[in-house]
Amino acid sequence: MAGPSLIPAGDFRTSYAADTTIFPATTSRNFAIVGVLLLCLLPQFLSGYWLSILIQIGIFSIAALGLNILVGFTGQISIGHAAFFLLGAFTSAYISNNAPIPVFFAIPLAGVVTALVGLIFGIPAARLKGLYLVIATLAAQYILLDFFSRAEWFSGGSVPASANPFSIFGYTLRGDKQYFYVVLAYVLASYILVTNLMRTRDGRALVAIRDHYLSAEIMGINLTKYRTLSFGLAAFFAGIAGALYAHYQLVVSQEGFGIERSILFLAMIIIGGTGSIMGTLMGTAFVVLLPESMEWISLHLKGGAIDQALSLNNNLTFLREIAIGLIIIVFLMFEPDGLAHRWRQIKAYWKLYPFSY
Amino acid sequence: MKTKALLSTASLALAIAAFSAGAQAQIAIGHLEDRSGGTADVGTPFGQAVADTFAWVNKNGGVGGKQLNVDTNDYGYQVPRAIALYKKWSAPDNKVAAIMGWGTADTEALTGFLAQDKIPDMSGSYAAALSDPEGASGKAKPAPYNFFYGPTYSDALRAMLMWAAEDWKAKGKPGKPKYVHMGANHPYPNAPKAAGEALATELGFEVLPPLVFALSPGDYSSQCLSLKSSGANYAYLGNTPQSNVSVLKACKAANVDVQFLGNVWGMDENGAKAAGDAADGVVFPLRTAVGWGGDAPGMKTVMEISKMSDPTGKVYRPVHYVAAVCSALYMKEALDWAAKNGGATGENVAKGFYQKKDWVPSGMEGVCNPSTWTEKDHRGTMKVDLYRTKVSGATDGDINDLMGKGTIKLEKVKSVELPRKPEWFGW
Repeated sequence: MAGPSLIPAGDFRTSYAADTTIFPATTSRNFAIVGVLLLCLLPQFLSGYWLSILIQIGIFSIAALGLNILVGFTGQISIGHAAFFLLGAFTSAYISNNAPIPVFFAIPLAGVVTALVGLIFGIPAARLKGLYLVIATLAAQYILLDFFSRAEWFSGGSVPASANPFSIFGYTLRGDKQYFYVVLAYVLASYILVTNLMRTRDGRALVAIRDHYLSAEIMGINLTKYRTLSFGLAAFFAGIAGALYAHYQLVVSQEGFGIERSILFLAMIIIGGTGSIMGTLMGTAFVVLLPESMEWISLHLKGGAIDQALSLNNNLTFLREIAIGLIIIVFLMFEPDGLAHRWRQIKAYWKLYPFSY
Repeated sequence: MKTKALLSTASLALAIAAFSAGAQAQIAIGHLEDRSGGTADVGTPFGQAVADTFAWVNKNGGVGGKQLNVDTNDYGYQVPRAIALYKKWSAPDNKVAAIMGWGTADTEALTGFLAQDKIPDMSGSYAAALSDPEGASGKAKPAPYNFFYGPTYSDALRAMLMWAAEDWKAKGKPGKPKYVHMGANHPYPNAPKAAGEALATELGFEVLPPLVFALSPGDYSSQCLSLKSSGANYAYLGNTPQSNVSVLKACKAANVDVQFLGNVWGMDENGAKAAGDAADGVVFPLRTAVGWGGDAPGMKTVMEISKMSDPTGKVYRPVHYVAAVCSALYMKEALDWAAKNGGATGENVAKGFYQKKDWVPSGMEGVCNPSTWTEKDHRGTMKVDLYRTKVSGATDGDINDLMGKGTIKLEKVKSVELPRKPEWFGW
């Protein structure tokens, strides 16, 4: 047993600052710094394929982080997250195409615009709970998507919009190798920001609302303000991620960002662990890698004994979709606390090895 | 002893290098197909034909002695997946010589990249915006590396409207005929919308507001009721058979009296079988001179190619399969030319498309319609052959029998040779 609340004997803190520190020991901080430095070296060694996977993990993990603030920390729910992601993508493309603003500034600007729209859609959230809130966010998904398919001045209507490559003061970044650093910088900034947010008064207010909204209100927490704020924050990170995605793909299309993508975002945080910041990253990596590994498995099954015995042929591609659904169910049943919980157990096991009991 | 060891190591290294060079002496081709998305019904036979044709080319010696390494991928008609695949294909270390593309949305999204990376793309999209290599028309962005086999969507619709205007006169009905554009709000059905409505107005049609229906099968009764209440006479079906069939059936049930005009992908033998008598009378263009099993010298080649994935030779191949064989063989001959004139790089392959006039791939005589591509104009053909589906009975049973007995027939209606008007270029 090694939960986060169980502190080993002899390890005690004498100040609040020490109690809320991000890295409990110098070694863990050094490990994190070395890890980031190693990540910086990766583009030199990785193939284009793995680089593109890492970039995807980075981008989607920022969006999932936003959703985790809303779902994992505030206890709200949203199945319209993909629409905010797309809004960020279109906004950043629109700003950088139509205004003399370099992409470097268009990305955070897109985050702010998305956050404002998120605040508007967050208003009903202040009054609704549970299933009713689900339906309200579903409406956001459809309203925004319908807007994108009709607003030709903004998103190009049904024709995909084009986005400029990442640039700053006349210097343009081209190719995945350079873009990797942009995404890495945003991932680090977002994760540090959210980790710190959860150490503040506002962050603790969100957690209090999640744990028991009535008690929180009695303690003087403004429910309306914090619930709406959490929607705005979730939308902000979705917008940032969407903008990063737009300038990575250079083309923004509304395809593939329907409700199924919103549910995939939810799957990321459920698999990673709701209410866990590191878990968000793990869950995103899992969800991004799953179809790729399924693709690899189906490629190797092709023409093999199993394929012939079951005469799968072209249905192998559908096997992939089935497996993804299956794994999510398995996770919900056997690992409800997510990958973050499993990771903590593994860490504790090795810390106490060989005397764990 | 030492020298000998050194020599043998060196020769071994050379042998390995030569072997790996031999293994690499392939021409890489990217192939996007849709087997699971919104246009899977026509994307499946088309993609199969492309794969079969290249397999057949490889069996018969490849291109310039090199085998084609075709990377076939089902992208589910989704632009982001097409872009991801394109990134893989345009990476400097394994850049492809050419791409066999598919949808309008993804091909239009790729156009700029293709020009930048100099990779020719033979798409399944015939959007007129892809036919203007220099952007000279002022109506489309330059698309110097986009090619397709067949009339543009807009030209096909123009031909059908010209036929419709004559048909209206021949029937001697009073008043102005009413025309309506139907299709999903998606780049593919939308591509010829403006061009069609402009010509319809010019030809004296009254143009009704467009009706929207999704690319997937569904209940489209309300669209049919709108057709009926608005009194439309000619309706363009911009989607693919799977959803068009839903409309045809719903309109048959609602007793709507309207002449449907199908997009080139809008109808085929399978669609006619699925819709039954509801598909009777739909007019649509055919890209090849004959359909499957037709009487032409080139049909033998098509049959041989079909055996690559169907050794029994019993599978019926719809019109899209035959058209895809033509598309892939044009690409093959352009690759041939490039291989002989400086190597199969994207730039040379594109030039390969400009070498012949009234070009028919060898072995495909009487099947593929003669096409001409020039540096200034990528409209391969201006000739549109219009056919009408004729369904004269119950359509359950094997499609081979139905076609053999003539229960489903494709009857030629008219051949329209459109003028190369500058104002019709690029839209």
